[in-house]
Amino acid sequence: MVLFGMAEAQDEAKWEAFARSHCLECHGGKKVKGKVDLKDYLKLDQLASDLELTKNLIEVLDYEEMPPEDEAQPSKSERSNILGVLERFFDSTLKENRVFAQSPMRRMNRFQYSNAVKDLFELKTMVFSLPERMMRDHSQYFNPSSGKMPETVQVGSRPLGKSQMISESVFQDVAPFPQDLRAEHGFDNRGDHLTLSPMLLESFLELSSRIVDANQFNSRYVGIWDRFFKTPDDKNAVNVLEQRIGRFLQRAFRRPVLSSEIQPYLEFSREKLAAGAHFTEVMKAVAKAVIASPKFLYLYDDTSENASTTEVSSFDLASRLSFFLWGSLPDQTLLDLAAKDELLKYEVLLSQADRMLNDKKLKRFTDSFPTQWLQLERIISSRLDKDEFPFFYKARYRSSMHMMLEPLLLFETVLIENRSVIELLNPSFTYQSDWLANPKGKDKFSVGKIPFKRREIHDRRYGGIITNLAVLTMTSGSKETHPITRGAWLSTVVFNNPPPPPPADVPPLPEKPAAGDENLTLRERLNQHRERSDCAGCHDKIDPLGFALENFDAMGMWRDQYENGRQIDMQGKLFRKHRFDNALEFKKAILKEKDRFVRGLAGHLLSFALARELDASDEPSIEFITAQTISKDYRFREMIKAVVQSTSFRMKTTPAKLVQHLPSKKQR
Amino acid sequence: MKNSLSRFKFLRGLQGSVLGLPMLEAFSQEVKVAKRMVHFYVPIGVVRKGFFPGEQDQHLVDFGNNGDKHSHRSLKEITKPVGEHPLKISMPTLEPLQPMLQKTTLITGLDRVFQDGTDVHAQCASCYLSSAAPYRISNSAWPLDRTLDHVVADEIGSETPFKTLAFSCNPHQDMKESIYFDNISWYGTGHLAPSMRHPRKIYQRLFNLKKQDHREITSLVLADARSFKRRLSYADRHKLEEYFEGIRNIEHQMVKLEGMSDRLMKLKLREPKSSYLPRGQFIQVMADLMVAALQSGLTHVSTFMVAPERWDTPYLFDEISDQPMSHHKMSHHQSKYVETLMQVDRFHVRQFVTMLQKMDRIKELDGQSLLDHSLVTYGSGLGDGATHQYNDLPIIMAGGHSMGYRGGRHIRAPKGTPLANLWLRQAQSLGVERSQFADSTSTLNV
Repeated sequence: MVLFGMAEAQDEAKWEAFARSHCLECHGGKKVKGKVDLKDYLKLDQLASDLELTKNLIEVLDYEEMPPEDEAQPSKSERSNILGVLERFFDSTLKENRVFAQSPMRRMNRFQYSNAVKDLFELKTMVFSLPERMMRDHSQYFNPSSGKMPETVQVGSRPLGKSQMISESVFQDVAPFPQDLRAEHGFDNRGDHLTLSPMLLESFLELSSRIVDANQFNSRYVGIWDRFFKTPDDKNAVNVLEQRIGRFLQRAFRRPVLSSEIQPYLEFSREKLAAGAHFTEVMKAVAKAVIASPKFLYLYDDTSENASTTEVSSFDLASRLSFFLWGSLPDQTLLDLAAKDELLKYEVLLSQADRMLNDKKLKRFTDSFPTQWLQLERIISSRLDKDEFPFFYKARYRSSMHMMLEPLLLFETVLIENRSVIELLNPSFTYQSDWLANPKGKDKFSVGKIPFKRREIHDRRYGGIITNLAVLTMTSGSKETHPITRGAWLSTVVFNNPPPPPPADVPPLPEKPAAGDENLTLRERLNQHRERSDCAGCHDKIDPLGFALENFDAMGMWRDQYENGRQIDMQGKLFRKHRFDNALEFKKAILKEKDRFVRGLAGHLLSFALARELDASDEPSIEFITAQTISKDYRFREMIKAVVQSTSFRMKTTPAKLVQHLPSKKQR
Repeated sequence: MKNSLSRFKFLRGLQGSVLGLPMLEAFSQEVKVAKRMVHFYVPIGVVRKGFFPGEQDQHLVDFGNNGDKHSHRSLKEITKPVGEHPLKISMPTLEPLQPMLQKTTLITGLDRVFQDGTDVHAQCASCYLSSAAPYRISNSAWPLDRTLDHVVADEIGSETPFKTLAFSCNPHQDMKESIYFDNISWYGTGHLAPSMRHPRKIYQRLFNLKKQDHREITSLVLADARSFKRRLSYADRHKLEEYFEGIRNIEHQMVKLEGMSDRLMKLKLREPKSSYLPRGQFIQVMADLMVAALQSGLTHVSTFMVAPERWDTPYLFDEISDQPMSHHKMSHHQSKYVETLMQVDRFHVRQFVTMLQKMDRIKELDGQSLLDHSLVTYGSGLGDGATHQYNDLPIIMAGGHSMGYRGGRHIRAPKGTPLANLWLRQAQSLGVERSQFADSTSTLNV
């Protein structure tokens, strides 16, 4: 979009006039609500210095979150006019200077490291047990190329089930380093969480030795044994060194390696051999060093030499793809295509994405993304009150071990069967154990291998990532539901709009009502408790979402009344637009906003793929992924392919020198 | 420090000969014993009326304002005469200090400044030992800089295999909080120095005499790291320094450890069992490991986190209740849980004192105790778990007799004194030559 002087001047005047009449009263001058102060942003070029703010302005106006309900509203045409002005301005500014946030170089997290080591050596066993892979597959059901999930699957819950961590085939005596933590509103692959310290580096060195020296590290378990470790038939072993080490380094480092990079390894092994060391032992020493090398441990994009934003290199792209979908190194096919620069071609990129989505290694994606996106690790620490929820407990076990598997199986099915992502919200089927199908019944409660059957959902109040027992339980307290927690979860997970953290000076509501309040509903008590006007901004957004689920008690069981006999009051309006009077209507309201859900999911996927927080420069990519997904019937695989086609995925800003960019995000 | 003959060098000079300690004591006139520093961190503040002399009659606040504002407005103003007073144990939370009274000093009135934009609990822990002035660190929402333990270790850490060690008694299995709630030791902004939290692994790592030698590998990976640099962008090249520093540290460690096997054998430390221990015993097993590391010269600088900040998940304080409790949740209901909370506070002080007593029983070559040669500080990043205030933090200092510190006192700092003033004073006592640390305004007169 080219702006002419006249139009620019008009837009300028329009924005200032709109801001003065609709925004400034609360956001500038005397009052500064929600920490948004527009008094220095009345001119468009002032807004140019803070595109993040501009993006937020567009969002709140578009979603009609602002001005607040009780204030005078702009007319429909006024609103769409000003949105046009801001969007035109945003797009043209971004076009002039699109600088992506850099995903900082980061060491592999524990999950990626374990996968990468397994793939590099083509191990026929796991390196170590990982509780972060929450669901264990006991019936080899995961077969994405079939495009179909079996009717019955056998699964187990690693963190809570019986013996789910031990009988797995792993190396003996190889203990992992600690699990990496998830960033707030993010994933466990973020640069600021993935640093190296002397202690961790020492664990990596230790781990290198333990893996390569493990008893099972032999021709039976190591796929590349003959190609790398085995003493060559050729009497003169030195001859094969260069070729073997070169290939191995290229695979481990995911890039072409220069002869100068191979040299230290060659010299080392020649010296050792000359000194009489055994060939296999020498190669083991090389392998130990390689998997402790920074070129193996760190994920990064090559520097783009100069300051400008460039397309990623084909090898960057191969790594981005494989760490996104396989949580691991690119395979030889990807590296070969990268070497020929083929991977940068659209059709090749798409066909590779298809190939990767058909590969069983896709399990690494479903082992990491959905649990973190849905924050399912929270269910691990859920402990409901024993007196009020006796059937939550099954002897020594908690039924949450069944609960956590249901949304994960739904996610995998939608992906494998390439169904519409909208089915994540409102599916016609679900996978349930006998216990989940009838929690208060007397069916056998499996604690190891648990059969999950595909069942049709007749009662649409249940089903999907929101109304399942896992999410409803983990967003509750031990006795009562926490509507605000549920609302915040919905806002964060479903619509990718995390509320800011609550101020620390607001006390949580006591689980038991105070004397005299016994007859109030939860909402009435909460209203009483929330008196401060500055809380309203956020709570008007998240509370209706949480209260909408009040018919589901702290374990997700249906109820029409509170214990004190009062009717559940769950009515509300979604986004100030869609009224709902019962749980089904709430679900319908959410479905009316399904494109907003798709947009949210696009952001989650892209942020996971890029291992960083998104900012204004990623906005066009989010738009692209959303539009692509909608145009392709919301199919999940199409959505993932749209992620890898997006500019944010294919571009980078990795300047070799320190450059001061236009600040796209200001400290406010 | 640099020119003095450390105990460690002295022992190494003997080349592993089997001289017993009593003979060595004859040299005590010439021997300079190393100075040590320990920071003992307590999460979620304390109940003020149980801890701060003069506030015992204050009513309770169930919640309070953010870190950036001063203490709750509904509280009555208390006159607190600044300056030095004799320490009398009149407060219930401080009772366990009694046996160590002569070696401890209560310091009140020290503040940190809250930087808006991150969680109060996350910031109060991660920035406790750093407290950079707000907004001074660009590209970060945290006022977080190289923490005091590392700044001090830069000066006195090169003598030991480990420049610093970080211990944590975090009991949680669910990984629900981010790193900022769980760590007080940082190499720098965004660069965590992770803590050790499993007694057996710590034992294996620190006291196992049959350690692997990684030198064969380190020379290869260092060559990789050097050629790697060329591929990287400006920001990433900067980050790669962590790798070089890590390798340098490990190589340094291996050299230093070679000369130490005799000393480590003498410790007669048993490998901790992996069975469940009640909370207090668990903390003391960790304290034993840390004290042994300080005593043997594995390190001179250490941090010790008794538990992480916030983390709502309940856990068991066996000594207080047979039901798991959430320290954080209770802290938001002081009026309901005040007795239990004060028990928790007292429990933490008792753990601190038990550790001090262990350090005091260890005699160094000059006849003074390990404690006398150490600056040991108890503290929390919140002045109160309910009000979440960053001002008037609970701080107790112990030991340091050989560095001129006297115990038995209560020092009330004037209003608005930065915590960094105390950190600066400690750094100077330990041999760091600088006149400014983080947001310090001067050196605290302790």
